[in-house]
Amino acid sequence: MSMRSLRACMVCAFVQTGSKFQTAGCPNCEDFLEMRGHQDVVLDCTSAVFEGLVALNGLEGSWVAKWQRLEGNKAGTYAVKVEGILPDDYVAAAENAGVRYVP
Amino acid sequence: MASWLDQDFPDEEEDDFNPQAEVASDDEADEKPQLNGDAEDEDDDVAPQRSRSRSRQVNDEVKDEDEDKDDDVDLTGGDDDQPVEVDGDDHPAVGDEDDEEVADQDDEEDEEEEEDEDDDLPGRPAKKRRKNRRNQFIDVEAEVDEDDEEEPEEEDDLPGDEMHPDDLQELPADADRDDRKHRELDRQREAKEQETAEEQAQRFVERYGRKERAGAATGAVVPQRLLLPGPEDPHIFRLKCRPGKERDVIQGISLRMAERQYSREPILINSAFERGGVMAGNLYVEARRQEDVVAAVEGLTHVFSSYKPLMIPIEEMPDLLKIKKSSLLEPGMYVRVRKTGWYQGDLAQVEDVESNGVDVTLRLIPRLTYGLTEDTNAPAVLDQNGKRKRTKTTQPRPPAKHFSETEAKKKLGRYLSRAQGLGNNAFTFENEDYVDGFLIKNFRINQLQRDNVNPTLEEVTKFASGGEDGTENLDLNALAATIKQTKAEDYLPGDKVEIFRGEQKGVTGKSVEVYGDVVKMRVDSAGALRGQVIEAPIKDLRKLFREGDHVKVIGGSKYVDEVGMVVKSKDDRVTLLTDSNNQEITVFSKDLREATDAGGNVAGSKFDLFDLVQLDVSTVGCVIKVDRESLRVLDQNGSIRSMLPSAISNKLERRRNAVATDSNGNEMKIDDTIKEFGGEQRQGRVLHLHRNFVFVQNRERVENAGVWVARHMNVTTLNAKGGRPGGQNGVDLTRMNPAMKQNGVPGVMAPPQGRGRDRLIGKTVKLRSGNQKGMIGIVKDATDQTVKVELHAKNKVISINRDHLQVIDPRSGQPIDDRGRPGGGMPGRTPAPGAYGRTPFGGPGAEGRTPAYAMAGGGRTPTWKQDVGSRTPGYGGATAYGGGGFGGTTAYGGQTSYGGGTSYGGATTYGGGGGGGGSVWGGNQSTWNPNPSSRTPAHNPGNKTPAYSGGLEAPTPGFSAPTPGDQPTPGGFRGQYQTPAAYQTPGGFPETPGAGFDDDGPRYD
Repeated sequence: MSMRSLRACMVCAFVQTGSKFQTAGCPNCEDFLEMRGHQDVVLDCTSAVFEGLVALNGLEGSWVAKWQRLEGNKAGTYAVKVEGILPDDYVAAAENAGVRYVP
Repeated sequence: MASWLDQDFPDEEEDDFNPQAEVASDDEADEKPQLNGDAEDEDDDVAPQRSRSRSRQVNDEVKDEDEDKDDDVDLTGGDDDQPVEVDGDDHPAVGDEDDEEVADQDDEEDEEEEEDEDDDLPGRPAKKRRKNRRNQFIDVEAEVDEDDEEEPEEEDDLPGDEMHPDDLQELPADADRDDRKHRELDRQREAKEQETAEEQAQRFVERYGRKERAGAATGAVVPQRLLLPGPEDPHIFRLKCRPGKERDVIQGISLRMAERQYSREPILINSAFERGGVMAGNLYVEARRQEDVVAAVEGLTHVFSSYKPLMIPIEEMPDLLKIKKSSLLEPGMYVRVRKTGWYQGDLAQVEDVESNGVDVTLRLIPRLTYGLTEDTNAPAVLDQNGKRKRTKTTQPRPPAKHFSETEAKKKLGRYLSRAQGLGNNAFTFENEDYVDGFLIKNFRINQLQRDNVNPTLEEVTKFASGGEDGTENLDLNALAATIKQTKAEDYLPGDKVEIFRGEQKGVTGKSVEVYGDVVKMRVDSAGALRGQVIEAPIKDLRKLFREGDHVKVIGGSKYVDEVGMVVKSKDDRVTLLTDSNNQEITVFSKDLREATDAGGNVAGSKFDLFDLVQLDVSTVGCVIKVDRESLRVLDQNGSIRSMLPSAISNKLERRRNAVATDSNGNEMKIDDTIKEFGGEQRQGRVLHLHRNFVFVQNRERVENAGVWVARHMNVTTLNAKGGRPGGQNGVDLTRMNPAMKQNGVPGVMAPPQGRGRDRLIGKTVKLRSGNQKGMIGIVKDATDQTVKVELHAKNKVISINRDHLQVIDPRSGQPIDDRGRPGGGMPGRTPAPGAYGRTPFGGPGAEGRTPAYAMAGGGRTPTWKQDVGSRTPGYGGATAYGGGGFGGTTAYGGQTSYGGGTSYGGATTYGGGGGGGGSVWGGNQSTWNPNPSSRTPAHNPGNKTPAYSGGLEAPTPGFSAPTPGDQPTPGGFRGQYQTPAAYQTPGGFPETPGAGFDDDGPRYD
């Protein structure tokens, strides 16, 4: 997996390649962001600029997950910090889905 | 009905917790029994809402707070009342939000509490009054409900008495005592449940916290401080890995986690993370046991397995994941380009930020070659890629300059087009846009450096000059965003600071300690915190200045180092009146610091009094006054400037050995005393010499600290430092300067300066005076005045005045003229006590002198050389050589050498005169013989005369030259053996040429 093409979901910080986002969507946010198959959405809702990488195991009780507010998210890699501004539409979508978007 | 809410307040407030939450719940709780119990169900069903709205109208405080709450509720889209009072579990989804609310309330409560307290101060009497009033009169009479509530809350005492009237009065029909008792019971039960708000909150947290966990993906806004790691959390271990490969490792671990998830040995670590950047090479793994860590990373590439996992202390764990809030870029901010390439490190101004926050349009100062260097390389390939690559590798990066249309047109005009609709000054050149001379280019945000941009003045002014309207706007607005974020270094203990946002907004104080991003400050504003030391994050702080404060600008703008008095302070902008020029400037308070009035700042200045400073490329000046923040400089043109130290490019070191010539051509050095030649005839001591200018200081003058400046041609040296007589003894520059030389000036002919080795060196001398008088030695070294003589008798080298020597012949012991001539019998000697060859010319007159001198010098050198080269033949040899030189060089110099030979003519005399010398001479002759046979004859009859006539084009020398030949001695000259006699001839010769040269002398100069 090349490092360059990695993108991070701006809502949950999940990191994977842009193409993966397009083919599979974001494992956590697919319900409301609906990136799968929509390249423009992927570009809008993910950012190639992020810092720090966290590999999260699905295990209970991870403090890192708690601290990063990733608890309950799918296992995988996450960014510590994602640069970028989620367009308002998607923020609203996230809110409606009960996900608080924390920049 | 209106104020029953109010009544709850006093109780709640005593509770030390959020009154509002309780109010709501209490009311509702109170109401619930009512609903249940009261007969009028329909009415009361609506009652809660109604009562709430009513209460809002009635009571200000309650209204505010309620609104706050309602707002929150609205935001989350749920109805606060419902789940709480009726059935908290009915709406789990909403319940989550309630939980958020609870969290939020934690914060709010603090604030509210404070507010309440504050309010209490002024408002207490009124409230109390109100309360009393209610209790005693109004409430009782006004509304039944109030009393109903009041009683149980006050617990008790006289339920019977008080209730009776109520019931009797207002609820005679509706309710009976049973109902009331029921209600009371309910209420008590409820009260028990909700003893304290804290417990209640906790209960909520428990209740909904659980749910949050169950219902995944809630971005619960629990403040992170509540998430601080505890001992029950897994540990974090640090591993080392190859720097730069952290992400690969994390990816590897992630993959491995997924792979082994359902295998027999799953990865047991909770997480692994890296932070890159500053923590490159470090890898952090969260796990319960160290073995799990080792197992998880085992065999991964790039992980240094030799490092034992190091457990991170719990308190440091949050730091590992600290997120540096990156400031949002705003148009106008300055950034630096991080990308490698031409623009690396260049300052750029943010023109626009894409809505995604990642792509930024920047304004850069272009670095263009305009194809000037390209064509030479490969004019064929001009597509961008090829060009870029080539330029990157082979060319130094071009200087940053504003885009020039004419430059662009020169070579690559076909790539230039004027952009439409963007005003006159927009171009597209080689697919890049240029507006107003700036390059407009898109960058990714990660290619930019946003922190520590620290734009320098020069850089910023470049942007300013292209800016729309001048520097003022630049200073305040453009720079604002970039440098708004304050740094810890900006604060020093003792600074007056103000908290301008956050919970403690408005609190002012003096910082007592600064560490990290936190300032400890002692509060001095009125209020409960007065006198306490509190901590505040720097981002919430700004420096506080009051009108009249004397402050100094410490950075951030072009006004750096200005000092002035604050005349206005609004928010974080402070206007001050500068001391230097009474100008009003506005700067950010973070760029200010209280100026210490206690002087001494002068010492801190980079520049000292009388320093020579470079003002611009062609101007220098001398510092004549060092103010606290400004300098007065006398520039080379004599005008006085007042400048800021920051406006001076650099200081020129004093060059100790700088030399200049004064109007007389004398040399002039630093510290020499000079006088103005004409004008005011100012005197002074040279401070600096710079190019044409001399900066002079005269302590007796007052103006400009006694410093004045003049051109060096307008001053004369009075006396030089250290008693060096001005221009007398040092190198007389007049003589070196052909332009200064005047033919007609009579004067003492300077003694020919020995060039090269002194001729005395190597001579045998006898001391003529002093302790060692009579001793003989060999000259080892010689200067103008003294020589060093190695004595024959003692193994000792003594230094002795030149005049006290007598050169003697090493063999015979006969004294020789100290210039090499024999003591007596030398025809030319009498008129020539000094250098031979000179005297004769001195005799003839001024005209011939210089040439004569030159001639003598010219002649001497070869002679002398000959002397050295052919010792063996002795003077005879030298003579021969003189002849030879003369013969060989047809030029006049040749004749000079002939004159040189003259001295050896002395030798001839010696040969002739000294009987003892005869033998020597004979010896010489024997060696010399071949010479004359080959040379002297050669030149004597044939060469010489033609040489003179031909080479000099002047008959006179030509004529004079033969003269010696005509003499009898030259007669001997022709004779083989008489050659020594020929030396005599030269001896006379100088005279003759001297006469002969009268006219022509100058020509030989």
